[in-house]
Amino acid sequence: MAPPPLVTGISPKEGPPGTKITIRGENLGVKANDLIGVQICGGDCSFEWQSRNKIIARTGINGTKGKGDVIVTSLSGGAGTSTVQFRTYTEMIGPLKESAVWVEESPVQSLAWGRRTMAPSGYSQEDPLGLSIEGNEKKFPDDLREIFPEHSGDLSRENFSPCWFLLENHHATSFDDLKAGYSFLKRKVEGQKEGQLSFLKTHVSAVIDQLDTLMNLKTKMEIEGEIDLAKRVNNLQGTIEKSIESSHELFDDVLSRREKADKARAALSVLNRYKFLFCLPTNIEKNASKNEFDIIVNDYARAKNLYGKSEIPLIQKVLAEVDEIILEIRRKLHQKIQEMPQGVEQQKRFVKSLINLEIQQVGTIQSEKLKIVDPAWGAIESRARYIEQTFKNTYEEFQERENSMKDNSKRDLNAPPIRVLFCEEITEIATGQFPDLWRLGQSYFTGELRGINEPKPGNFKQIILNAIERFCSYVRAAILPQNQKFQAVASWAFTSSSQLQQFSTWLPTCLRYLRVSYASLIRLDLPGEALDIVLKLIDELRLFCLTTILKRAIDKVKKLHEKETWELTVPEFPGATALPSKLEEILVEVLDEGQQICLMMEVRENPLFDTPNSEGHREVAKIVETILSCFSNVVEELATERSDDEVQHMPKQLIGFPTNSSLLPHSINLTEAKSTISSTITITWEHRLLCCLANSAYCNKTFINSLGNLFVKFGYPIPKLALENSRTIVNNVFSNLLEIYVEHKSDPLVSTIEPSMYIVSHFKWNRVEKFDNLSPYTHECLDNVVSVYSEIFAVSPFLLRPILEQIIQTIAEELARLMSCVEEFNVIGKKQATLDIRMIRDVLRVYSNERAKASFNEALESIPKLANDENREVENLLAIIKQQMKLQLMCLTVLNP
Amino acid sequence: MSKKVNSSVGAALHKVIMVGSGGVGKSALTLQFMYDEFVEDYEPTKADSYRKKVVLDGEEVQIDILDTAGQEDYAAIRDNYFRSGEGFLCVFSITDDESFQATQEFREQILRVKNDENIPFLLVGNKCDLNDKRKVPLSECQLRAQQWGGVPYVETSAKTRENVDKVFFDLMREIRSRKTEDSSKSSSRTKDKSKRRKLKCTLL
Ligand SMILES: Nc1nc2c(ncn2[C@@H]2O[C@H](COP(=O)(O)OP(=O)(O)O)[C@@H](O)[C@H]2O)c(=O)[nH]1
Ligand SMILES: [Mg+2]
Repeated sequence: MAPPPLVTGISPKEGPPGTKITIRGENLGVKANDLIGVQICGGDCSFEWQSRNKIIARTGINGTKGKGDVIVTSLSGGAGTSTVQFRTYTEMIGPLKESAVWVEESPVQSLAWGRRTMAPSGYSQEDPLGLSIEGNEKKFPDDLREIFPEHSGDLSRENFSPCWFLLENHHATSFDDLKAGYSFLKRKVEGQKEGQLSFLKTHVSAVIDQLDTLMNLKTKMEIEGEIDLAKRVNNLQGTIEKSIESSHELFDDVLSRREKADKARAALSVLNRYKFLFCLPTNIEKNASKNEFDIIVNDYARAKNLYGKSEIPLIQKVLAEVDEIILEIRRKLHQKIQEMPQGVEQQKRFVKSLINLEIQQVGTIQSEKLKIVDPAWGAIESRARYIEQTFKNTYEEFQERENSMKDNSKRDLNAPPIRVLFCEEITEIATGQFPDLWRLGQSYFTGELRGINEPKPGNFKQIILNAIERFCSYVRAAILPQNQKFQAVASWAFTSSSQLQQFSTWLPTCLRYLRVSYASLIRLDLPGEALDIVLKLIDELRLFCLTTILKRAIDKVKKLHEKETWELTVPEFPGATALPSKLEEILVEVLDEGQQICLMMEVRENPLFDTPNSEGHREVAKIVETILSCFSNVVEELATERSDDEVQHMPKQLIGFPTNSSLLPHSINLTEAKSTISSTITITWEHRLLCCLANSAYCNKTFINSLGNLFVKFGYPIPKLALENSRTIVNNVFSNLLEIYVEHKSDPLVSTIEPSMYIVSHFKWNRVEKFDNLSPYTHECLDNVVSVYSEIFAVSPFLLRPILEQIIQTIAEELARLMSCVEEFNVIGKKQATLDIRMIRDVLRVYSNERAKASFNEALESIPKLANDENREVENLLAIIKQQMKLQLMCLTVLNP
Repeated sequence: MSKKVNSSVGAALHKVIMVGSGGVGKSALTLQFMYDEFVEDYEPTKADSYRKKVVLDGEEVQIDILDTAGQEDYAAIRDNYFRSGEGFLCVFSITDDESFQATQEFREQILRVKNDENIPFLLVGNKCDLNDKRKVPLSECQLRAQQWGGVPYVETSAKTRENVDKVFFDLMREIRSRKTEDSSKSSSRTKDKSKRRKLKCTLL
């Protein structure tokens, strides 16, 4: 439990009931609803929590008079204490005191209820002895009171008793002081006596006049004697009577005039007193036109309080008029509440004013005329409607703008497309408007805006969800491709692919807008369900954005063949060019961008690839597969494209040694290479074909697998299946190219064997005459194989085996065929044939596969069997020739070149 | 009566009264001293009461501050408030010469009510953070303090809190030493004297 509240300061420290007091201290409640009570002088107060150190309170009417504690009670700290005390005093409204409040004439009310607080009247009464009564507040025994029953110390009372007065007011005054007081009193009385004398003094001339008249009268009467006395007396009587009469007349006149004046004055004062009420109707209207509804509420409350129970018909009539106006005001407020756009605070004020007026009007006839069920709910609904309408309008407006743009194609291509502007606008609206709606809802549910009626059981959450749903579907319609999964509220299709193309580069911008707006919604503390709607859209957009970024790689890869330089730059795989690393560069670029924009998660976002086999996985795999198959196509295309020259020039080349085997050394300095390529030497087609073969072999063996690491590095899942599939494709490319090359090389090679065996020197196997060397065809065949070997070796030794095996197999098959066709061998022919075939077989053994070996044997078997000495002869010669050709043929014997 | 007050019966209570024209910063000084807060807006005071425990030279005491109205219309009730005071902070604003002139009147009223030339009293020149708008030269302030029998003169700022604690604590120290002096003397004579003096004033 927190420490109890402690009040250490009050401002002001005294006042009549209804005084507004600022209370300060410690632990006065941790928040507004922690503060549950303020008691001053034992009476409950209305209060307003300001901070844990400050409260504003207004004293109630039920507290005791005099000094009392200020007790603050909070939920967290319980009832507290105070070091200061408040003094409540009653303000008497005397006839001389101006009061802002009408006080009923019969029983004089003691409660002052008004806007003004006044100086305490207690101090204005002077002590008759001229002494201070300070220090006399101490109590004295109550039994003293009994000695003076029914006596009063009040000077103005009939039962005033001097003794009691002294006891009551001066029981603690020293004797000296009393003595001084006594002389003070005496002087005062004397002063009053003096007053009579001074009256005479000031009117001395009138007194003298009167004396003179009396003297004159006396002498006149003495002179005229008794003559006509009676007549004179009569006359005199008549005159006196007349003057009495006229004086009466005069008096009556004055009286009646005075009476009129009094009446007028009374009427004026009534008017003055009721001025507030009489002016109220006009004031209300004036304030209403200025939107000052708070003042209206206050004034109305005041009028109700002051005059509500009055039975004076005039007042009732005015009140009824006021009520009628208030009814109008309520109507007007109800309208204003639903008017949009307007700030929440204003809307809340309107709602509060309306509720207030409604509550105060309860019980009047007018109250029945207008029933507004839960105006706050109406405010929420109209705000929600307004938001949805704003979304709709914005959506339509931008759609319209895009349509009108279509005609003039002069639009700057670098300017953001209309949809991007729309995205910016609508996310801004969402960021600006949702908090208002949410705040309004919050106020509604905390009860701040609740009226007399029970809150409408409307589903605020659903309203929020709907509004957000609406927002998301417009964004979705504008920037995401149509998707059957979502029943589209609106559709805004792209009219051309170039439009789509241009737009897609702006997707990251749209994503940013949406994220900003999402972040602001998160700050609002909306229910998770509502946030999830936006989250879903963001996830979709992220994925879509990612796929568009990755797809950009496809286009780039398609153009890769322009980038091939035929430099052999892969040290670990001779023959492979820079092409695969170019592919890698492209991939790195898009993967990196994709990671930056889409993969990286911002607040309250999910990883794109959290579940295996998610849509994200599939999309990425699909694109990766496309990219790699495009790459395979590029490789294949590069291999097969050749100019017409090359086609014509090709077959001749086979004979003899290849043109330039040292054409491209394995490690070329880049600049040198470039200049070489672009200027003089053109690379032969075979050479390019071999490079492509090497590239596809390299891709299959290492490169594609190594791409997996790239994905890991940038936080993507490895698209295993896609990579595997691509390897298959690359493999196919390899086989195709291999076939082309093998065909290209072996066809001329093999087809020359037969002509050079027979046609060159009209050779017949049954008419062979000398046996001292290999036949020319054998020489030629071996030379040709070596030249192919060197061509391949110059580019990539890796390719030797796959290519040579194929070629040698066809050679072996051709020899078998040729031998089987020989009808007859003479003895020398037998030996010569055996020598030739065995030479070829032995030399090509390293690159002979099983079928080649079988064919060689088949060829040998077609030759009639040699005798032992013949066989030895052949072997001797074979050894000698091998020795002679050792250098030339050595390359073919190396197992792993 | 609350517990709090009972428990602090032992601690000495020093009653301080803030006097001075309206708007010079009496309330601001009080609130700064009491709650470490500075109030920007000006709301005229009527009579505010504050009381809290403080430690004065190692000893726990209670300070009771009566923050009064500077306005003329309350002049009539000031007498009553002044009577209860044991020490006075007579505040003016160094940016307002009129408020400085008014201190003379306040001083006289206090002396008349308390009938004591040596009543604990500090002349306080507030708003010293607004030195660039100063209207009352420092020398003039010091001269006046001198003329009043050498009362201390301190410049404060309720805004920056400069010297705020100082004036309250200095005043409490004076009140405390006055009390110890008084209790050593027999007090009856002085009391009688003061009453008579007061009476004369009423007659004048
Ligand atoms: N700059 C500055 N303003 C002050 C200072 N003290 C008070 N004020 C301001 O002066 C105005 C009057 O202060 P207030 O304390 O209410 O004066 P009081 O009538 O003497 O109680 C307020 O607006 C204060 O913010 C001060 O030291 N420096
Ligand atoms: Mg003040």
